[in-house]
Amino acid sequence: MNVKREKLTTLSFFLSPMAVMVVLFYLVPLIMTVYISFTRMRNWNVSKYLTEFVGFYNYHRLLYMFQHDPTFKAVLLTTVVFVGITLIINVFGGLALALATFFIEDKPASAFRLLWLLPRMSPIAVYSLVWYYFFHGSEIGTLNSILMKLGVISQPIPWGQIVPWGAWSIIIFVNGLVGVSFGMIVFTSALNQIPKELVIAARVDGASSWQISRRILIPMIRWHLLYVLTWQFLSLLTTYPHLFLLVQWDLVNGDYGTTLALYVFNTAFGMGEQDQGLAAAAAVLLSVIGIIGGFVTLKVLKFERMMKRPRGDF
Amino acid sequence: MIEMVRIILDSITKKFDDFIALRNISLKIEDKEFMALLGPSGSGKSTLLYTIAGIYKPTGGRIYFGDRDITDIPPKDRNVGLVFQNWALYPHMKVFDNIAFPLELRKVPRQEITVKVREVARMLHIEDLLDRYPWQLSGGQQQRVAIARALVKEPDVLLLDEPLSNLDALLRIEVRAELKRLQKELGITAIYVTHDQAEALAMADRIAVIREGKILQVGTPDDVYYRPKYRFVGGFLGNPPMNFVDAEVDAENGYLNVYGSRIPVPAQYRELVEKLGIKEVLLGFRPHDAEVLREKREGLAGEVYSFEPLGREQIVTVSVDGAFVKVFAPEGEHFSFGEKVTVELREDRIVLFDKKTEKALEFLV
Repeated sequence: MNVKREKLTTLSFFLSPMAVMVVLFYLVPLIMTVYISFTRMRNWNVSKYLTEFVGFYNYHRLLYMFQHDPTFKAVLLTTVVFVGITLIINVFGGLALALATFFIEDKPASAFRLLWLLPRMSPIAVYSLVWYYFFHGSEIGTLNSILMKLGVISQPIPWGQIVPWGAWSIIIFVNGLVGVSFGMIVFTSALNQIPKELVIAARVDGASSWQISRRILIPMIRWHLLYVLTWQFLSLLTTYPHLFLLVQWDLVNGDYGTTLALYVFNTAFGMGEQDQGLAAAAAVLLSVIGIIGGFVTLKVLKFERMMKRPRGDF
Repeated sequence: MIEMVRIILDSITKKFDDFIALRNISLKIEDKEFMALLGPSGSGKSTLLYTIAGIYKPTGGRIYFGDRDITDIPPKDRNVGLVFQNWALYPHMKVFDNIAFPLELRKVPRQEITVKVREVARMLHIEDLLDRYPWQLSGGQQQRVAIARALVKEPDVLLLDEPLSNLDALLRIEVRAELKRLQKELGITAIYVTHDQAEALAMADRIAVIREGKILQVGTPDDVYYRPKYRFVGGFLGNPPMNFVDAEVDAENGYLNVYGSRIPVPAQYRELVEKLGIKEVLLGFRPHDAEVLREKREGLAGEVYSFEPLGREQIVTVSVDGAFVKVFAPEGEHFSFGEKVTVELREDRIVLFDKKTEKALEFLV
């Protein structure tokens, strides 16, 4: 009895810092968001609206907007396209880079990988500015000026204002470039864990680099693939800084450059009328999608199998 | 497997940046021969094996399989089977798929693959394991799977890189005998890299002793064991290894002075010592080529430093005026610490080395 208690004390001692963090920065905001989504909270007028319950009013509004508001429909469609395509680029781009650098010599490989880390290392504003000028709709835009010099086009094209695919292409491109490095790093370290004899054995048996990748390397790093897929899915679902700047600077179309995450931010903290109740409801929707997505990877793709039960004797 | 596969290495050199891993290695491996590359770790023996497999390209020299110059041919076209120390089985594939993989790469029809995999599995007694994953097998079983995978494509040459060192001692001795038999039954040319001198002696037709990227000696187990070309070879082979003691040559009277003891110059060296006019030599003898005697006789006089009974025999360490030599003595003989004894050497087995080059005298001329 006493021993058990002692264990409990030790356990809570070691777990408490993490528990405090989770409660303070995850559980409390989550509860607050859910709570606010049931109020008429707007313009941060806490004293007036905090206790004004409206039931599922905000959720009904979301549903109504989903049915009738073309702007909100565009936001949802943009979210699906953006998350879907950027996810594929992030995961498979990262995989392709990791595999490509796996088969070349160490020195050029690490230089090449460093290059791909640059977007991740540069501040968001600086990085976004680079692409702002690149895709700019006037003749000062790099892309436009190149194409005009080459004689492909005679008038500058406002790329980001072509809806939907012009705007989508830019936000997918800009975020995709940031995201590949994450997958690349994870996959590279996973590939380096594979004993080199496996690759040598396959080579001697006549396997090409492609066959080695497909038959040996990729199956052996499938857990990492799954991990990066889940991680990138969740982070793409909730990311908005690059999108915010690109829309704010009017590089891309507001409707087709805005994902649900950015919509939540704009609705709660944006210019003009702020509607925290509606934003909270949309945020809850976003969380539910994230939780379902996470759950699907956990259960359906058998993510839990890679989690080994601890073998400590206590 | 029908054609003759003789391997010829013609002055192979391999450099990694500034590091010279192989220095001018020339070696001929006969058809169906079992050749061991024996050396301490870092000697370059694995590098040599990988160069033969085609994974490393030699910096200089040529490699021939039969009459074919394969120096610039990629590994997959050399038709070699490779077995690794860590076996390198694909963990996500079942045993069947592991063995079938080389055939799949060759686009062999599925039916033929099944037949061939079953055949090689039967040969290695693993036909019951085909449906398991590598992690469900014991070390010895994984080892067999690795050999099966190397053999299934009927290679011209079987290359083995310390395939037994991950097994425990008892199993190693068992597999050793089996592997030797398998190689002879298949009649396949095999090159076997090992740092374990007992393995090399037990299995190989010939042994190439390698140190620091150079071949010191090539010969039958008997050759390298009893007629070492260098002091290093004598010291590397045998357990316990060869004993070495300093000796001064008294050519006039035909004696060797060894720490105050006098023994005649061995008959096989008399002419040579005279011809070379050598003054100082290193005398080498195997622990079983000597006897520890209590009575005073012609030999090395010393006292018992320690003794280690090993069941069938015992190792007696004798201090000869401060230099230690190890000698096998029969069981049942009882020694005590500090006892005065004489170590009598079997004359025809004595090897004399030049002190400077550490080369056996017969190889000096």
